[in-house]
Amino acid sequence: MDTKTLITEAKARFAHNSAKEYLKEKYEAKLLVAEQGGLWRADQETIAFLTVMPNGGDDKLILMDTFDNPVLVDRSKLLSKLKGVYRSVMAEWYNEWKELENKR
Amino acid sequence: MTRGVILFAFNSPKYNYYDMALYTARRVKHFLNLPTTIVTDEDSLPEVQDDIWDNIIRVTPDKDNFRDWGLWINKGRYMAYNLSPYDETILLDVDYVVNSNKLLTLFDMDTDFCCHNKTNFLMHPGVPQELLSVYSYEALWATVVMFRKSKRAEQIFQCLEMVQKNYEHYANIHNFIAPVYRNDYALTLALRIVDGHYCDSSNFIPWDLLHVGKNTQIYKNNSDEFDTEFTVMFDNWQRGKIRKEYITVQDMDFHIMPKDLFLDIISE
Repeated sequence: MDTKTLITEAKARFAHNSAKEYLKEKYEAKLLVAEQGGLWRADQETIAFLTVMPNGGDDKLILMDTFDNPVLVDRSKLLSKLKGVYRSVMAEWYNEWKELENKR
Repeated sequence: MTRGVILFAFNSPKYNYYDMALYTARRVKHFLNLPTTIVTDEDSLPEVQDDIWDNIIRVTPDKDNFRDWGLWINKGRYMAYNLSPYDETILLDVDYVVNSNKLLTLFDMDTDFCCHNKTNFLMHPGVPQELLSVYSYEALWATVVMFRKSKRAEQIFQCLEMVQKNYEHYANIHNFIAPVYRNDYALTLALRIVDGHYCDSSNFIPWDLLHVGKNTQIYKNNSDEFDTEFTVMFDNWQRGKIRKEYITVQDMDFHIMPKDLFLDIISE
């Protein structure tokens, strides 16, 4: 028996909240990036901080990573990496979320 | 720098752990492109061995552990450090479904040892983290462990051996049930001891371990061996009635706790 038939026969209901929770688990894990000796979350807060903290000529910045270790980073390079990851992961998240919304 | 995955699989009268390991090794090869070493015993090995294995290591298992459903050969995990032929190793439980390349991120982490400290249940979010006992630590999980050959990782595995061999003593101190040996509990204690009863966040994998637990069924959506889409169905009890609920998961790893469910997936 294929899964669709199984769902129909079991009169199973799509669990919207659980699916939302699952998407959060999945995509938050994908937002993690190891770069320049630290582990970073490509989230809005980190990207915003990197954006507003230009640091003079050498563009170096000390930042706390997700393990609470201070890491000396090349700001622009890290910002560019995190922005790239953020855009691609959030686009995937959004698309899957839209599919999920259609199941309501 | 060599990298690989190591699996421990010893068949019990009830479950064929070798078959589970074979399924997991194939997915490791497909999604992670890493070699896999199996640690097993003569009784578990079939006559014709699969060429998926990078190494087959035969050991004599300790068969002195029983669960409610029977013999459970899960002792000896501490041997992983010495038996692993790799510089960087992922030690996996055989009932972990590799369903993405996420585990490769572990090798990017600047640590000699890490495991999961947070878990969540698919279809059953918000379940509290498991404690060794009411007054003890939150349990860590031995389901996925990454370690590098290093003094610190060696110490953790040596300590794991010490805890296993004195499990009853630690069970008395931490007030949990001793007769059933659990690697999760032994690892929790070993890591804390080695770190001086302080747990640094770099010991932990920075995403949750997702379990498929009780009252849950899981089905492959397609017959393709490496298809990543699964339907997870949950029996939600409400007002004395079961209401079936489901979600679809894709490109995400998970751990199937009930062994029967895992074997159903393999046989689909």
